[in-house]
Amino acid sequence: MVGVVVLLAAVAVSAHEIGTTHVAVTFPQDGTYRVEIVTDPSSLLDKLEAAAREPRSGASQVDDLRERLRRHAALIPRRVTLAFDDVRMDPAMRIDVAQSASLGGVPGATLILTGPRPSGAGTLTWSYGWTFASYALRVQTRAVGEPATQWLEGGDTSTPVSLAALPPPISRLQLALRYLALGFTHILPKGLDHVLFVLGVFLLSRRWKPILMQVSAFTIAHSITLALSIYGVVSLSPSIVEPLIALSIAYIAVENLVLSDMRPWRIGLVFAFGLLHGLGFAGALRDVGLPRSEFVTALIGFNAGVELGQLAVISAAFLAVGYWYGNRIWYRRRIVMPASACIACMGVFWTVQRLHFG
Amino acid sequence: MTHVTHPLKRALSLTALLALGGTAVAAHDMWIEPSGYRPVIGRTVGFRLRVGQDFQGDPLPRDPNLIQQFIAVDGTTTTQVVGRDGADPAGLMRVAARGLLVVGYHSKPSPVVLPATKFNTYLSEEGLDAIAALRAKKGETNAEARETFVRCAKSLLLAGPPYAAQQDRVLGLPLEFVADRNPYMVTAGQGLGVRLLYRDQPLAGALVVALNQRDPMARIAARSDKAGHVTLKLTEAGPWLIKAVHMIPAPAGSDSQWASYWASLTFELADATPQAIPSSSPGAR
Repeated sequence: MVGVVVLLAAVAVSAHEIGTTHVAVTFPQDGTYRVEIVTDPSSLLDKLEAAAREPRSGASQVDDLRERLRRHAALIPRRVTLAFDDVRMDPAMRIDVAQSASLGGVPGATLILTGPRPSGAGTLTWSYGWTFASYALRVQTRAVGEPATQWLEGGDTSTPVSLAALPPPISRLQLALRYLALGFTHILPKGLDHVLFVLGVFLLSRRWKPILMQVSAFTIAHSITLALSIYGVVSLSPSIVEPLIALSIAYIAVENLVLSDMRPWRIGLVFAFGLLHGLGFAGALRDVGLPRSEFVTALIGFNAGVELGQLAVISAAFLAVGYWYGNRIWYRRRIVMPASACIACMGVFWTVQRLHFG
Repeated sequence: MTHVTHPLKRALSLTALLALGGTAVAAHDMWIEPSGYRPVIGRTVGFRLRVGQDFQGDPLPRDPNLIQQFIAVDGTTTTQVVGRDGADPAGLMRVAARGLLVVGYHSKPSPVVLPATKFNTYLSEEGLDAIAALRAKKGETNAEARETFVRCAKSLLLAGPPYAAQQDRVLGLPLEFVADRNPYMVTAGQGLGVRLLYRDQPLAGALVVALNQRDPMARIAARSDKAGHVTLKLTEAGPWLIKAVHMIPAPAGSDSQWASYWASLTFELADATPQAIPSSSPGAR
């Protein structure tokens, strides 16, 4: 409804009818800018082909449109201006064409312009001349809240948009620490399932070596799948990953009940379970969002945070029970067995829950 | 090359870049671009509304608040063109009968305020010399202009084979082109006569421009005669857009100073050499 009201209000002030183009400018925290132009690919291609003095192809299929638009991409900056404090930028550009649900299933083109935001930039000025209809320019001028909106004619230059209220970009170290904290809190306190898995690993043996070997195997494994999944090399639906993670918790705990020390296969299993948990971490990291320009920093920070969270769980467990009672004759009977049984129950419960209600 | 640029120089170069960045003319045309000019009977055809220049347009999604009239007339029936609000194509219709399909879109008036230079350029581009003269007489040439504009777009589609008996018809749009004969009987290089009607009366002296989508920069222009008539020699095959703008002083009591009407007519000229008129009549099959 708000959209309709905005559209109606705009009709009164714009010289032409409102088309289907939208432009959104955002400022990721890594100190870059990102301009997203959503527009009709066929009409953009018509104009590009005319500008290139080529005959009109009339392309209408998604793949054909994408390929032809990319071929003419070098012409696009001719009618696009992005300036900070009147200094024109030279952004990197990506073009994609996909079936757009918001356009009723017809192909939609997305142009993404990115680059570093000049430090201390006070205003932004924009013009886009590849549409002849009116369109909305939305600029994120604050960390939170509604963007500043201007209705523009194709080719018209916006009035300068003040960026004074934008938070300053953060440094790489700050970014790494932020993702470290996100990784840590994903385990403590948010990741009870991961906590129980780590406790299961801890409870198997009172000796340091098996714990260290299991934790290392788990860490290496989840680092591998976290990275591969974030880079899109592997992917597995959460509807499969999440019940399997729950099942891995149950398994580890059950093994604790029947075995009193590490068997050779345990390391392999923990490694395999680590691969699964890594996929789960990747899902969480994707929900948080990764800055494009500091991808690796954020990935390493998050992974390190997850690691610290796990070590914190083990340290806490050691200080709470292992240190005091680890050498008692009743440690296994009164601590390991009941705790493992509880963890196993939880694991089974989650498995069923995630299979049926996930 | 120096890394320090004088702020003024920077600003000047930016202004130049911005000026070059946009190539838009002062005012834009609006027309109907069907998903196909030769639809198949029984299939759905989309009526896409386009706004732009040089026959290169941007989609206008269906806006129920702008539609005054959106109809399609075939040999026997008048159909209200339906569509999904906010969608492109703005109109959809299942083609039921063979013959010429006459589609008309008539918008509600939209107000606009244009700065003097833009308005004057637009008057000159659209051949509205009388209005420019009127502004000069009133000493308003350098004043901004308040205008309401109405779109009157029309498109001719053909289902099945063409016949001379298939005729364009008057839909009653405020400003409307009516083709003298079935354009699907015309081939490249031939002339097509059109009449321009304003409120059902011939409009004389209007600048009528025809553009071919395959070569839109080669435009053909003529002024309508006393009968509102022009004959345009349509040099090429492919989709054609014929357009004209009419402007009058806005009626007293209106917030605007001027009221404009934008007529367009689209159709497609066959590639082939002149087609023989089939011996059978449309009703025979």
